[in-house]
Amino acid sequence: MVVSFDHLQRTSSSFLDRACDWRPVAYNYAVKPLLEAENLTKHYGATIALESVSFQVYEGITGLLGPNGAGKSTTIKLFLGLIRPTSGSARVLGEEPYETIEGRARLGYMPEYEALPSSVTASEFLMHMAQVSGLPPSQARTRAADILRHVGLDEERYRQIGQYSTGMKQRVKLAQALVHDPVLVLLDEPTAGLDPGGREEMLGLIRRIGREFGISMVLSTHLMGDIERTADRVILLEDGHIAQEGAVAQFTQETEDLHIEVDDHRHEVIAALTRRGVETKEQGAVMVVEGADDAVYDAIRDAVAEADARLRRLALRRHTLTEIFQDRKSHATSG
Amino acid sequence: MQPQGEVYNLGYQRYDGPREGRRRARRAIFENGVRTVLGLGRGPRAKVIPALLFLGAIVPALIFVIILSVAGSSAGFIPGPSDYYQVISIILLLFGAISAPELLCSDRRDNVIHLYLVRPLTPTDYLLGRFLAFFTIVLALAYSGQIILQAGLILSASAPWEYIQDNWTDIPRFLGAGFLMALFITAVPLAVASFTDRRAYAAAFVIGLFIISTGVADGLTSTEDCREVSRPDGSTEVACNSGDRAVTGEAAQWFSLISIRDVPVRINDMIFGTENETPSIKAAAGLHASIPIALYVLFTAGPVLVLWLRYRRIRA
Repeated sequence: MVVSFDHLQRTSSSFLDRACDWRPVAYNYAVKPLLEAENLTKHYGATIALESVSFQVYEGITGLLGPNGAGKSTTIKLFLGLIRPTSGSARVLGEEPYETIEGRARLGYMPEYEALPSSVTASEFLMHMAQVSGLPPSQARTRAADILRHVGLDEERYRQIGQYSTGMKQRVKLAQALVHDPVLVLLDEPTAGLDPGGREEMLGLIRRIGREFGISMVLSTHLMGDIERTADRVILLEDGHIAQEGAVAQFTQETEDLHIEVDDHRHEVIAALTRRGVETKEQGAVMVVEGADDAVYDAIRDAVAEADARLRRLALRRHTLTEIFQDRKSHATSG
Repeated sequence: MQPQGEVYNLGYQRYDGPREGRRRARRAIFENGVRTVLGLGRGPRAKVIPALLFLGAIVPALIFVIILSVAGSSAGFIPGPSDYYQVISIILLLFGAISAPELLCSDRRDNVIHLYLVRPLTPTDYLLGRFLAFFTIVLALAYSGQIILQAGLILSASAPWEYIQDNWTDIPRFLGAGFLMALFITAVPLAVASFTDRRAYAAAFVIGLFIISTGVADGLTSTEDCREVSRPDGSTEVACNSGDRAVTGEAAQWFSLISIRDVPVRINDMIFGTENETPSIKAAAGLHASIPIALYVLFTAGPVLVLWLRYRRIRA
């Protein structure tokens, strides 16, 4: 497609310029929350799925993390307007989705389970879903082709979906959630059922959609690795309550432990460090030095030079979300 | 010469075109329903059954027209507009039983219904779109045969204009009767399809329902074979043979209503004001006109209500 400079400027403009044209007055989602839960409660009979949960989701990628039964799917269904809360409110772009369905035109949803017709082509399916989201047929055709290219199915788009691999089907599911250019996409366990390679590709795609496409996402998952690799913020749900929330970086702060990786002569490096009074632990191919100070850095420099080793990495180790979970569990057990 | 450059932006493009909301969503469901039934946008196998059934509904009219063009209006066995729906009702019922469930079953089996319901669309919008899609196709099928037949009858008449003047009431009649038949043929299979994810089960159930109910009605009801017989003394009397029928008399009239296939045919006969020789229909000829009407309403409004109740609370 040939585009003018003006068009390029327009397409790369900030979120502030993109008005939600389904509303008479644009909802300024650069400053207002995209999602807002206020004392959100959902009971299924005697079962409590969510209990008085309050949080806000702004632009960016937000992880909704928790074990099975924590209330993640219920939260997503409430924001999609598929169920009504027992009490409290769930707002999407300022409106309660179970009261009005028009706002769904700017929401995308990728379910966890398979939800694709097997006998139609990806191109035909995406064109149809774009129209069901309100786009006229000619624009729906263009959008379907564009999105299939972005998710890497450009050459496969005229094949029946039933002939696709699991990874390709997962990408079609993601594509149908994006085809109408939503403001926000809700992803439910997007890496479920994928092999390690497929998982990496999907996470890369999610990062790209969030960073390059500028589409905000809520990623519901029980896999902490998925959140660490993609999300800016995380909301941790446990037994229908919010256990913790904040920026992912805040949870994965640097520790005082130093990670050292060398390409060769590892044992010589360890021996040289020991001679200098620096104790090291081996974790696979990584050497860990606890409580590093300036003197330790000097010792490492000298030890690597003495062993004639090639230094690959020298960095402070970061906490992982897994450790935070393990800490929470051990506190709960000891308490 | 200054080189001319072009900027190709292969990055993500935001969409700032029109968004037509729920209106477009409903229309998309309707159009997709029509394409699904006709097998458009699908493989060749998906087109075979609709094509065969479509031909089956139109070919009788074409054959009658060919006969009319050869033998002229003297060909006495050519059915008129009042009989045509009965001739093709079997094909239309088969078409409904086989094709209608595909509209609902596959969406539920493949979970695509869940993707619809998170878009600006209610379950009622979805159902209405699917219902109208199938209704439109059945209606087009019913009308096209009638239009071909009407054209044949008019053109083969010795005085076409006089034929039109004498028979113009056939047109609103076949339009009305076709509308009501299409409504029935859409409602019953779709209601059955709302109970299963498997198209084959729904189709088998609907076909079984039509065949068994008609068989039971025909088997139970008596169309007494009466004729005048001569006595030895030269006088005559009317002798009736009930054969092996299980039920005779007034009870037979009520049992004949079991035949679900006859429900729209009775309405067709009422609209055209004709008598039907089909045993199960003939047996109920003595019943008050409100009974077939009530039965028709029951078998169209009932399935529509069932459909709505089944989908009202469907959730992703």
